[in-house]
Amino acid sequence: MDKSLGRLFTLISVPRAVWGVALALALVGAAWAVPVAAEGTPVAEPTATPVVTPEASQPSVDESEAAKAPASLQGITVVSDEDVTTPRTKRGGEYKDVATSDAVSFHPYLTTDTASGSYQAMVYAGGLLRLDEKTLQYIPNMVESYSISEDGLTFTFKLREGIKWSDGQPLTAHDFKWTYDQVTNPANEFPYLSQLDFISSYEALDDYTLQIKIKQVYCPSLGQMAGLITPLPKHVWENLPWSDPERNPEINKPSVVSGPYRLVDWRRDQYAVFEANENYWYHGAPNISRYVIEIVPDQDVAYQKLKTGESDTGPITPENLEEARQLPNITVYEWWPAASVWSYVGLNMRPGFPTHNIHVRYGLNYAVDKDLLTEQVMLGQAKRLCSIYPDTSWVYNPDVPCYDYDPERAIDEFIQAGYHVQDGLIVDDEGKPLRLKLIFGPNTSKTRELIAVTLQDYWRRIGIEVEIQAMEWATYLEAVSAQEPDWDVYIGAWQSTIEPHIMYTIWAEENIPDLNAVAYVNKEVERLYAEAGSNCDPEFRRERYQQIQRIIAEESPYIFLFYNKSWSGQNNRVKGIIPTALGIGWNSEDWYIEQAPSP
Amino acid sequence: MRRSLTRYLVRRGLQSLVLLWLATLIGFTVYQLAPGGPLQFLDDDPKRTAADYNRLAELYGLERPLLVRYLAWFAGEDWFAALPGGQDLQSGQCRADATRCSRGVIRLDFGRSLHFKGMRVIDLIAERIPATFLLGFSSLVISAVVGIPAGIYAALNRGKLPDHIIRVATVLVNTVPEWWIGLLLLIILGGYLGLVPLGGMETIGDGSLLDRLHHLILPALVSAISGWISTSRIIRFEMLEVLNQDYVRTARAKGLRERLVILRHVLPNAILPFVTGLSGILLLFLSGSILFEVVFSWPGMGRLAVLAINSRDYPVMMGLFVISAALGIIGVLMVDVLYGFVDPRVKYEA
Repeated sequence: MDKSLGRLFTLISVPRAVWGVALALALVGAAWAVPVAAEGTPVAEPTATPVVTPEASQPSVDESEAAKAPASLQGITVVSDEDVTTPRTKRGGEYKDVATSDAVSFHPYLTTDTASGSYQAMVYAGGLLRLDEKTLQYIPNMVESYSISEDGLTFTFKLREGIKWSDGQPLTAHDFKWTYDQVTNPANEFPYLSQLDFISSYEALDDYTLQIKIKQVYCPSLGQMAGLITPLPKHVWENLPWSDPERNPEINKPSVVSGPYRLVDWRRDQYAVFEANENYWYHGAPNISRYVIEIVPDQDVAYQKLKTGESDTGPITPENLEEARQLPNITVYEWWPAASVWSYVGLNMRPGFPTHNIHVRYGLNYAVDKDLLTEQVMLGQAKRLCSIYPDTSWVYNPDVPCYDYDPERAIDEFIQAGYHVQDGLIVDDEGKPLRLKLIFGPNTSKTRELIAVTLQDYWRRIGIEVEIQAMEWATYLEAVSAQEPDWDVYIGAWQSTIEPHIMYTIWAEENIPDLNAVAYVNKEVERLYAEAGSNCDPEFRRERYQQIQRIIAEESPYIFLFYNKSWSGQNNRVKGIIPTALGIGWNSEDWYIEQAPSP
Repeated sequence: MRRSLTRYLVRRGLQSLVLLWLATLIGFTVYQLAPGGPLQFLDDDPKRTAADYNRLAELYGLERPLLVRYLAWFAGEDWFAALPGGQDLQSGQCRADATRCSRGVIRLDFGRSLHFKGMRVIDLIAERIPATFLLGFSSLVISAVVGIPAGIYAALNRGKLPDHIIRVATVLVNTVPEWWIGLLLLIILGGYLGLVPLGGMETIGDGSLLDRLHHLILPALVSAISGWISTSRIIRFEMLEVLNQDYVRTARAKGLRERLVILRHVLPNAILPFVTGLSGILLLFLSGSILFEVVFSWPGMGRLAVLAINSRDYPVMMGLFVISAALGIIGVLMVDVLYGFVDPRVKYEA
């Protein structure tokens, strides 16, 4: 639906259909955040310093498999010859969706939750550019062309003429500009205002030309701009208060929209009903005429609805996946997402904690059979990863230390760290046994609980006592990013982005203890990120990100576990679904309902 | 008697208000003690920076001292501006736009939701009240209709098979969590047999009376379980006690038919404690049961409470808190007054 931002966070704001999966993942992985993952291969010896240790048996990256690097970003003009007007032909029918949490608001600049994001994507078209589902490159979407100046600082977007609001008014560059101006007003509550810091000016040169200038060369900027502003109808909103739902009815009941659907009815915590927007700019109205989302608070009930055909989709937990695949009325679509959720074990690197010592981190890492853990916890629905980007990323580096299961090596590492083995326990110089505190949350997550007890078991086998503390979500978040944490180890997950640069934030010293909860400090990594962000030659960037992956894997601030496969169960009557690395939502407007043959 | 009743009501009413105020003080403090805060949704979100976080915290006035926040919630923050330096105590939103200032719960402004992005708390609650009350009253009626006859029947057949069956059944049902029974019935009756809908209050696009009853029946029956169990227990116990009274023996001795003895002499006396128990049950039902509403996707105040608690939406939490507390206090008061009508011996003394 939303052709840009939505695509950036594939799992999330792509349409309703994928929503079930996003929720399943939310349970597994937790809230949404950033980053990306890498797949594991047996690798180099870890060393304390970032030295390259080439290993003979290294499988090379299969170039055809890896996503392509983006084009360089200076002095280019890209023109689209895509046909966007041919109407769709398989129209009609109703799609019944089910979700376990409802949207909060239709205001695109107040919410951050996934449910609201997908509701908003139904009614508001955004995205000057969108990700191509095959190449994962940004291509023109609402613009017919764009160009970037030689110095890489001025971006000019030429909007397609003929894009209309649902009331027939033209959607112009002034709508973008007006929306941008509101969003950047600090009193207007936009939670991600700092994301716009790289922009120095944002102007509408005429009805169809937008010019965006940035302060300095910043490589992710094109992707950032792609879905930066989802325009709101200036002619409707202009005289309404921006964020007061009491005096601005458009906030919770948008009447003039630009997306594939318009809102018909919304009862909080009960249902939302949408109908196709005949004025939708991309090939006209979507095939499916009516889109209904029902809210149920429980995953099991939602899954029952999928099984009985009361809904066309529904969340499938990993435990239910095998059963769902066998259901005669359901097709389960599966894909390895370009923006996946990956799980890890964070090791507290602050002085005073045992895990401050790199050999302790190595020891803990070697002591855990990550392959077996992945298999047992995720039932084959995840791939192991060894550093911070998955093998679906164009910057993926297979040549990083992976710490394959080796309990003897683990004990050696503890001895190198100054510990001793005594009566089967790891003890320090005073004979005190090593004890670790592990926290995880939410305490309702079966997956995380399983990971926790598996880790406890592995570490106990080499003689380390582990105290597990399961926490409610908010308590857990607060404990993880506490100024003075009391844990040694925590279980976490990141939602990755396709743009590798964005996960810089979790390794930056300035983000301790918030996003960088383990307190990882490495100026070399920060320098490499800065370089990769300001020189947009793809090869240059790839090399930097690959070095970063190796350095971080070698320092082992995390025990990298696995990244998740995605899947979505759909009733067989829904046709036209094509899973790609972007998920299944990218072409949801082309999905259609198979009409029952008339008797 | 009428004058003393009025004076009694005034006195109890004032006491109730003080009680309510104390409750808000405790509630407010306790909610703030829970880890996390309304901005926790940003905690693990790498797309925001510390500056974003602080800007929002300032706008919503979350960084102010607890006392100031309580005062703003209780008495409003619009008048802070009149105090020297008082502007600094207002939330950023209030300073920027006077219409966004909280007017305080004493002026019946419950404030605006943080989770629901500026929606008025009172609107959010009002949206939910009909659903909760519908379920509550249905359960109350079912409790009485099932519980009272069951209690009477058990008492009259004391020590015989029906009594044992009812007692064992109540113990069995009572030892299993009711929401679990609800989930089980939902999956069996709804999922496998398709007899009842899988939750919700109405079919989307339908909403006829029949459709609503169809959705109501299972949640009402299940949430009435605790009601009819306690009702039947109380009634059985009281019946047995009353049945041994001298006046019952007298009634029987003078040849009154057993049916009349029960109806005229036993039941009115046995039902008294039920009226007392009613306040508790009423409160239970009207403040909305979180568990049942979650299990049955019932769009009532309990569901709202879950959302509010999980997102640390203090204004909504406090709004629900005040309403349940008020309902509870009114419930107790109502029962005390009703008691006087049921039992002539009760006198109201001011």
